[in-house]
Amino acid sequence: MAKPIIQIRGMSKTFSSKERKGGVFKGKRKKVRALIDVDLDIMEGEIFGILGPNGAGKTTLIKCLTTLLLPTAGKAKINGFHLEKEDTMVRASLGCMLMGERGMYWKLTGRENLDYFGALYHVPKKLRKEKIKELVELLKLHDFIDRTVETYSSGQKMILAFAKALVNEAPIIILDEPTVTMDVHVAKELREIVKGLNAKGHTIVYTTHIMQEAEELCDRVAIIDKGKIMTIGTPDELRQTIEQESSVAIEGIIPQKAIDEMKALAGVRDAVVKSQKNGHITLSVICENSRKLLPGIIQTITANDGHIEYISPTDVTLEDVFIKLTGRSLSVDTRVVVKDDAKDGPK
Amino acid sequence: MMQRTGLSEFNWRTKLDIIWTVAVARFKTLARYRGWVFMDISIPIVFAAMPVLLGIAFAGSVSAAGENFNTNLMNLTGASTQLFQVYMLIGANVFMIVSSSLWQVGFWIRRERFTGTLESIYLAPASRMLVLAGISLYANIRSILAFFVSFTIGCLIFGVWPFQGQFLIAILFLLAGIIPLWGVSFFFGSIVMKIREANALINIAQLGISFIMGVYFPIQIFPKAMEYLALCFPPTWMTNGVRSSILDLSYFMEHWYIDFAVLWLFALVFPLMGLWAFRKIEDGIRKNEGVGQF
Repeated sequence: MAKPIIQIRGMSKTFSSKERKGGVFKGKRKKVRALIDVDLDIMEGEIFGILGPNGAGKTTLIKCLTTLLLPTAGKAKINGFHLEKEDTMVRASLGCMLMGERGMYWKLTGRENLDYFGALYHVPKKLRKEKIKELVELLKLHDFIDRTVETYSSGQKMILAFAKALVNEAPIIILDEPTVTMDVHVAKELREIVKGLNAKGHTIVYTTHIMQEAEELCDRVAIIDKGKIMTIGTPDELRQTIEQESSVAIEGIIPQKAIDEMKALAGVRDAVVKSQKNGHITLSVICENSRKLLPGIIQTITANDGHIEYISPTDVTLEDVFIKLTGRSLSVDTRVVVKDDAKDGPK
Repeated sequence: MMQRTGLSEFNWRTKLDIIWTVAVARFKTLARYRGWVFMDISIPIVFAAMPVLLGIAFAGSVSAAGENFNTNLMNLTGASTQLFQVYMLIGANVFMIVSSSLWQVGFWIRRERFTGTLESIYLAPASRMLVLAGISLYANIRSILAFFVSFTIGCLIFGVWPFQGQFLIAILFLLAGIIPLWGVSFFFGSIVMKIREANALINIAQLGISFIMGVYFPIQIFPKAMEYLALCFPPTWMTNGVRSSILDLSYFMEHWYIDFAVLWLFALVFPLMGLWAFRKIEDGIRKNEGVGQF
C-alpha cells in the first residue's frame, strides 16, 4: 500500500497586503488568510490534483510546500523531511514549475538555463549534461534549446520551464497550472509526458483550474476554496457525491412497461416521451444522478425487451462538484480578507 | 530505482560548482550586453576627468595644478605628490569597484525579483550564500579587470605612467578591500529585498559612499567626527591603501601592513554582519508575502 510522501497537518498561512484606494499616499493594510487549517496526505506515486479558482489558496499551498513561504501555523513532512527544519532536503526532493514562463534568464540559452538550475540543485556537471541531453530528446527541444530564451514563444518558454522542473529528477514534481499558455496539442503532449513520469514512479502534484485536465490526469483531487480544503477524492468519487438533477436522452424501441418501471427507480424523477414515430421513441429521463442511474435504466429497458439505439447521459463534471460545494463558479476570485488592521499582521 | 533526492549530491564539489556556474552565467550575460563593458571602463575616466580638468582650469596649467595639489595635500596629510591625475583616477576606480559591488548584489535581487528568477533560485536547494558568493565573484572579477583597464587607459590619456610605486601592495589592498565589501553589499541587498526601491536607494548610497570614502580628496579635510566616521567604512581604507602604495603617500596607521591588517579585520566582521542581516530579512519576508513579490 502506498504511503504518504507529503503530509500536511493544520497548515495555515496569513499575510498582510497593502491596498491602495483613492488618495496618492493613502494605503490600508489588510490581513489575508490564504490557507486555513489544511490537512492533506499525498500518496507516493500518485498524480494529485489541486483544484480551485484564482485566489483559492492553491499557489499559497504550493509555495508553502516548496519552502518559498513559511506557514503561519501547522507542520508538514515532504519525502520524510521536516518542511522547516530540513528545508534544503525538501527542496532537493522537489522539481517545480511554478511561475510559468517566468523564472528563466532571457539572455541565456535554454541549455544554459537548464545547466544553471541543474547546478543550483547540486546535480554534478557530468550528470547534468546527460540529463539535459535526455530532456532535449524527451521534450523535443532541439529546435530552440541553443537560442536565447528572449527569442522563444510563450509555449516554448513553458516547455523549457517544464524541463527545468525535471532537471534534478526529483521524486516529487510540482506543476502549477503548467499548460496555461500552451497550444492545445502541446498541452496534450505535456499531459502524456506527465503520465509517463508518473509511470516511472514520480509523484505529481498538479494544480489547475481546467477541470478536464484534472479529470484526465489525476488519481485523486482536492478542491480548495477560500484557503480551505473542501473535499478530497478520486474524480469519480467526487462526481458521485453530487445528487443533482440531470437527464438521460434515450432513442430506440422502448415498451411502455419499461417506461413505467423506470419511473419507479429510486432517484428517477420522471421519464418523458418526447417523440414517437412507428414505435420508435425518444425519451428523456429526469433523474438525480444520470451517471449513477444509467446501468439501472439500461437494465430496465433490456429486461422488458426494449432496444436502445442511442443513449446520452449528462455528465457531472468536477466543476459541478465545485459549484455544489461552494455555490460559486471557478471563475470567481475568492481571496479572503479577514481583518483591516496592519498591527495584527504577521510578524 | 529513484534516488530519494533525485540527482542532487551534496558535497564540496557541487558547492563550488554552484559558485562557478552562477559567476559564469553572469559573464555570459555580460558578453551579450557589450555596452556594459564600455561603460565599466569609461565611467571612472570621466569621473576622474572632471576634477582633473577643474584643477587645471583653476590653476591655469597642468604643472600649476600639480604644484597646488602637492602643497595642499602635504599640509593635510604630511605626504604628497604632484600626480593629482593618478590620485583622482585611483579614487574614481576604487569607487567604481564599491559601486559595482552594491549594484551587482543589490540590483541583482531587484532584477531577479522582477523577472521571476529569484523565486526559481529560492526553489533550489542551493544555499543562498553560495549564490551570493557566485554573484560577488562575478562582480569582483568584473570590477577589478575594469579597474586595471580603466586606470591604465586613464593614465595614458592624462599623460602619466600607470605602473609606478608599490603596485603589488596596491593589488593586495584592492583584493583585501573586496572582502568587507561583500558584507556591505549583502547588507545592502537585504535592504533592497525589504524596501524594494533599489534605484533610488543605490543612487543615494552611491553619493554618500563617494563622499565619505574620499573619492577626490583626503578624508583629513573632514571635521574630526566625520573623519572618524569615514574610518569606520572599509572602502576608505581601501582607497587610501591603493593611493599610498602607488603614489607613496601616508597610510592612516603609518605602515602599510597595519592598514592592511585593519582592512582584514573589516574583512572578518563585515561579511558576517551582512549575512546575518540578509538571513534575518529573508526570513521575515518568507513569513509574510514571499520573495516573489515586487
